[in-house]
Amino acid sequence: MTTDPVPAGADPRRLLSDVRTLAHRVRVDQRVTWFALLVLAAVTFVGIPFDYYFLVLRCVGDGTGCQFSRQGVLYYWPPALLLAYAAIAVCYLRVARARGVGARVLPYALTGVGLTVLFTAAWIAARMYFPTHPQQFPEWVLVLDRLIAPWGTIGVALLVLARLERNVGLLVFTLGYLTVALVPIDFGWHWQGRDDTAFLPQQIVNGTVLLLGAIGFALAGRRRR
Amino acid sequence: MTAETGAPDPQVATDHPVTGLDEVVHQRVRLGILTIAHEARRAEFGYLRSQLDLTAGNLSKHLSVLEAAGLIDVEKGYAGKRGRTWITLTAAGGTALSDEIRRLKQLIARVETTDLPEDG
Repeated sequence: MTTDPVPAGADPRRLLSDVRTLAHRVRVDQRVTWFALLVLAAVTFVGIPFDYYFLVLRCVGDGTGCQFSRQGVLYYWPPALLLAYAAIAVCYLRVARARGVGARVLPYALTGVGLTVLFTAAWIAARMYFPTHPQQFPEWVLVLDRLIAPWGTIGVALLVLARLERNVGLLVFTLGYLTVALVPIDFGWHWQGRDDTAFLPQQIVNGTVLLLGAIGFALAGRRRR
Repeated sequence: MTAETGAPDPQVATDHPVTGLDEVVHQRVRLGILTIAHEARRAEFGYLRSQLDLTAGNLSKHLSVLEAAGLIDVEKGYAGKRGRTWITLTAAGGTALSDEIRRLKQLIARVETTDLPEDG
């Protein structure tokens, strides 16, 4: 770098290229993507026993008409997600400060908190209304239901983080994660033939995808440094 | 009859992107400082030094120029017992940076237009 003013004949392309390179380096230094994914994976795995022990399954007659109530989702996920977003925000701020830059994480954390409030309100409303008004839903309603479920809101909030960080890798990962989270995965696998474990494959897959993402981004970050 | 003086058309001269360039910003290091401060929200002195590959004295001179022009704020603080200096972009700094980038893009567009090979 020179301390002299740019000569009149300096190539503006080079100046703009320098600007883009510096901006990209700063964005990379602001990222702690692996930590965010690791926390979300941990929250997903720790939620499994809560979902299992607080699942209420009522089957009538020959078992063809069963009513599920995933009460563990309401007991566990709202506080767990709020704590997770707080932990992610604090970590981003501390790491960015240690690296000598500011952080861009606040809009992500606020989006996560907002989506957590939305999903909690939606699930409480559904729990109050649907037991007395049982009905069959079309598939698109079920996809929407999965989108505002905790694992869906995790993906939507990650899209915001990818935008904030201008992180194409995270965007691609999040789209893959959302595909997995929104498409019901049930390998027909019930643990010991029990219906109350039917949620397990989906949740294990979601947690595993997040964990693999955390490992991948951590390795990529280490290689870059 | 009109007299042709050969002087440049004043309208064309004022429209040329070069005429609007701010000498404070149109300098590679200072443009780099503003870019980093914009992207990072706040940047630490040591971070700027390493990213721009400058000596402390050299960076200080550029920061003084930008601070005197009201384009950055310099805040001194401590992290434990270590002194740290943080640089943030002012609103005027943000405007100056976006103006500079816009003019650089205009320059590139103009150069590309005039560089086109002539037919015949």
